[in-house]
Amino acid sequence: MKETIYQTICPGCGIGCGLYIRKNADGKLSIDHMKSSPVNLGKLCRFGMKLPHYYAKENNAVNLVNGSSAVAETAIKAAVEILKEADSSSIALLSVGNTTNEEQMAFTKLAATLETIVQTGVSSECLNVPMASLVEIENAKRIVLFIDPYVQYPLIVRRLLAAKKNGASIVAVGTQPLNLADETLDLKPENHDELKLDSESLIIADIHPNSDIMLAKSLLALAQKTYAKIQFMRPFMNSFGTGLSGDQESKKVGLAELLEDIELGNIRTLVVLDSDPIELMPDNEAAVESLKKLNNLIVISSRSSPITEFANVVIASEPVYSKAGTFLNTEGKLLENSGAGKAGVDALSLLNAGIGGKAFTYDEMNYLVLKAIEAQKEKRSVVTECSVSVDGVSSPEIPEGMYELKYLYNPFMWFDQQDDNDFVLLNRNTVRKLGLKKGGCVNLKSNRGELKMRFRVEALPNGLVLTAKKLPVARGTSTIVSMEGC
Amino acid sequence: MIEVGDKVIGYSTDPGVRNKGASGGLVTAILAAALEKGLVEEVVVLKHINEYEAIPIITSDVEDVLASAGSMHTVPVNLAKYAVGKNVAMPGKPCDIRGVIEQAKRNEVNIDNTYLIGLNCGGTMYPVQTQEMLINMYDIDPEDVKGENIEKGNLIFRTKSGEEKGISIDELEEAGYGRRVSCRYCDVKIPVNADLACGNWGVIGELSGNATFCEVMNEKGVRLLENAIDAGYIEIEPASEKAIAIREKVNNVMLSMGEKWSEKIFTEIPDGERTQYYMEQFADCINCGACKEVCPVCTCGEDSKCTMYHNLEDNYRMSMFHMVRLMHLSDSCIGCGQCTDVCPVDIPLTTIFRRFADKSQKKYNYKAGMTLERPPFLEVMPR
Ligand SMILES: Cc1cc2nc3c(=O)[nH]c(=O)nc-3n(C[C@H](O)[C@H](O)[C@H](O)COP(=O)(O)OP(=O)(O)OC[C@H]3O[C@@H](n4cnc5c(N)ncnc54)[C@H](O)[C@@H]3O)c2cc1C
Ligand code: SF4
Ligand code: SF4
Ligand code: SF4
Ligand code: SF4
Repeated sequence: MKETIYQTICPGCGIGCGLYIRKNADGKLSIDHMKSSPVNLGKLCRFGMKLPHYYAKENNAVNLVNGSSAVAETAIKAAVEILKEADSSSIALLSVGNTTNEEQMAFTKLAATLETIVQTGVSSECLNVPMASLVEIENAKRIVLFIDPYVQYPLIVRRLLAAKKNGASIVAVGTQPLNLADETLDLKPENHDELKLDSESLIIADIHPNSDIMLAKSLLALAQKTYAKIQFMRPFMNSFGTGLSGDQESKKVGLAELLEDIELGNIRTLVVLDSDPIELMPDNEAAVESLKKLNNLIVISSRSSPITEFANVVIASEPVYSKAGTFLNTEGKLLENSGAGKAGVDALSLLNAGIGGKAFTYDEMNYLVLKAIEAQKEKRSVVTECSVSVDGVSSPEIPEGMYELKYLYNPFMWFDQQDDNDFVLLNRNTVRKLGLKKGGCVNLKSNRGELKMRFRVEALPNGLVLTAKKLPVARGTSTIVSMEGC
Repeated sequence: MIEVGDKVIGYSTDPGVRNKGASGGLVTAILAAALEKGLVEEVVVLKHINEYEAIPIITSDVEDVLASAGSMHTVPVNLAKYAVGKNVAMPGKPCDIRGVIEQAKRNEVNIDNTYLIGLNCGGTMYPVQTQEMLINMYDIDPEDVKGENIEKGNLIFRTKSGEEKGISIDELEEAGYGRRVSCRYCDVKIPVNADLACGNWGVIGELSGNATFCEVMNEKGVRLLENAIDAGYIEIEPASEKAIAIREKVNNVMLSMGEKWSEKIFTEIPDGERTQYYMEQFADCINCGACKEVCPVCTCGEDSKCTMYHNLEDNYRMSMFHMVRLMHLSDSCIGCGQCTDVCPVDIPLTTIFRRFADKSQKKYNYKAGMTLERPPFLEVMPR
């Protein structure tokens, strides 16, 4: 048998780097670079390079009913039964943007039949944030970064370096010094005026299920006040595609709020499309506890992940690289897969028909997607209620002798993927104070228990510990911990 | 009777292939014959996606071979790794062939059953940048292009309506377009390291544009050519003295142009500033590992000397990974440009690796990837 080559985009973040996935006769996957992709010119970050691991066969979802394997038809039937019996006022649908526009559109059809909307994990207060233009980064005069591009959105590093060559000054507002930044400022929101922004400045930030909506709002307000441009990066391959459904006016809640609603019993049936709250929430254990309160959990997914393990029904679709479909990247560029897999849309069509709605085809969904994109172009410039000035972005009080353990979100973290980042970042003062030895470890303690970790030294502010991996001692994106040598 | 050292001019006997081929479809016809007559099980060719993009495929389908005819100057891939562990025939630019030979030195490729049809190479360009160049320098819509060619130092584009426009490569490179940097100083233009060395230099008169100049470099080359003649796929005639002289002359001009570029790029770094130079160059590295993955002369696999030191926990400003690689590739880097092409933070890796390798390769009068006779010098250096 010949090898099969799929043209696709990387699912690691909203940049949507183009690449080829090669599948040989034995089913072994490898990547190949697609140098004609205008998004990334064939370049990929370490997540993209590790896609053969991410897409490994053992990570593909399989159809399950109550934990036992089933054929697709049985799984879909079981899901139909659940949805028919569920009280429609307590059903929620969630898709953060890890799949095609067409599946996303099909999911909104299902939501409409269920008289609800698709939640995206981000509050509608900040849903309609402006997209990024990667080329524009290169031409900006002054760039203020509220992200760490090296770790979080690696393919914008080259754009920033190009901007620098073109004479831009770059300021990083954050904690970790960035080689490409002229200065790094650990600024509180009330001091953002010190950034001296004007109409030739560009703010780059990001928005995701765990970001501080207040901070996002304050940045939008800052941009409006100073006439600076602002661009928001997004962590999922099709984050922007989730905005195509046309239900922007409806109230969408953040992921944490959605889980709270589950805790409170307001949501009893959850249907997720390629979105795993256990992976997405900063605290895996807490997310599991919340999900246990559900009566019914239906997972439609291409990947097996923690949530597929205790779902009532799992409906498996093919791996994203082999799906037919389109994606909207962080720039609003429409990117297309070469694959032909339509199992996701077909399953959603059967589900929809099963509960009394209309059946539909992939082509119909694709038509609606293209129409929605046209419509969106016309009202692209509108920025929503986010543009209200807000005070009081939270920053925690750190008791004497304690440390703040903070998450450094990156593509590996969103999918709980292995990377060689089994360490925390500390500064030299902390290493000295705790008497840590080169090659040794540090013991982190919180009220969730303790954990020994290796460490790396970085020029961070005193009192801060960073992790690019989820740690069981963490309770959220920021946790107060104590530390000692080990 | 074909003999090693023969220089011939030939073309495909199939008018369709001849027409579609870059210069007479000789290479396509030889590949198709090798496959159909069982000389090899598979061939490596490019599958065209569009005018600017193609992807290497390993195929046993002769239709794929026929579809691949034509030179793609905007496909700066390296084909060497696709030959690993296979019995294939493949076309290749000098850097593709050099990669295969380095792989063969390390027993990753069995050279006895790998057939290498070399293509002369003036250089490759980046697809996205080329499209930008078409708009800015040629005033041609990239979608309108139906073919390109390099002739007499000019890069010529043909549109669907049959118009042609050429601009000198020098002018394009002045404006920041044109060939990849590594191609500008590349020092092998005729692939004398292949079994057959094919190109359009030296094809003159009526045959110009629709025949290929082909030099038979070794016994495998003889086999390839005889196989295609016996199958009736190609016709050849001996190259004239004039043709041979022209080919030689153009090659020399190209090589001396390359030397000039080399002098321009590899300016000496003063003593005491080298560590700083290397540290600064690598400071933005995001440890993706792509530079190793694509390197056509790297044969170590996932667990290798450099990856043993490839850990994000490392506190060194310049990863040990790069230090090991600089050393380890100093006897095998062929300057193919692949590492620079894939670096997500645009580190000019090829220039850095060549800077390091050039000195030692020159010292031992060693050119990587040219012949199996010379083993990697780091392995055989007297202690
Ligand atoms: C990038 C490039 C630059 C060249 N520059 C010169 C030059 O300066 N002077 C000169 O005399 N000849 C040059 N050639 C060779 C020339 O263009 C013809 O390939 C050669 O004369 C053989 O012609 P043909 O009709 O027999 O080949 P064809 O029958 O057209 O077969 C061409 C084969 O080359 C393969 N191929 C096409 N593009 C590439 C690529 N980018 N990398 C690897 N394989 C590829 C195809 O898969 C196909 O198998 C160049 C070729 C390439 C690919
Ligand atoms: S994770 Fe993002 S930056 Fe990295 S390769 Fe994937 S899409 Fe590109
Ligand atoms: S490195 Fe040399 S052989 Fe390779 S594409 Fe460039 S000019 Fe051709
Ligand atoms: S180090 Fe770079 S230039 Fe040298 S052979 Fe490897 S990929 Fe090519
Ligand atoms: S390709 Fe570039 S960023 Fe990636 S490891 Fe190599 S030097 Fe570093």
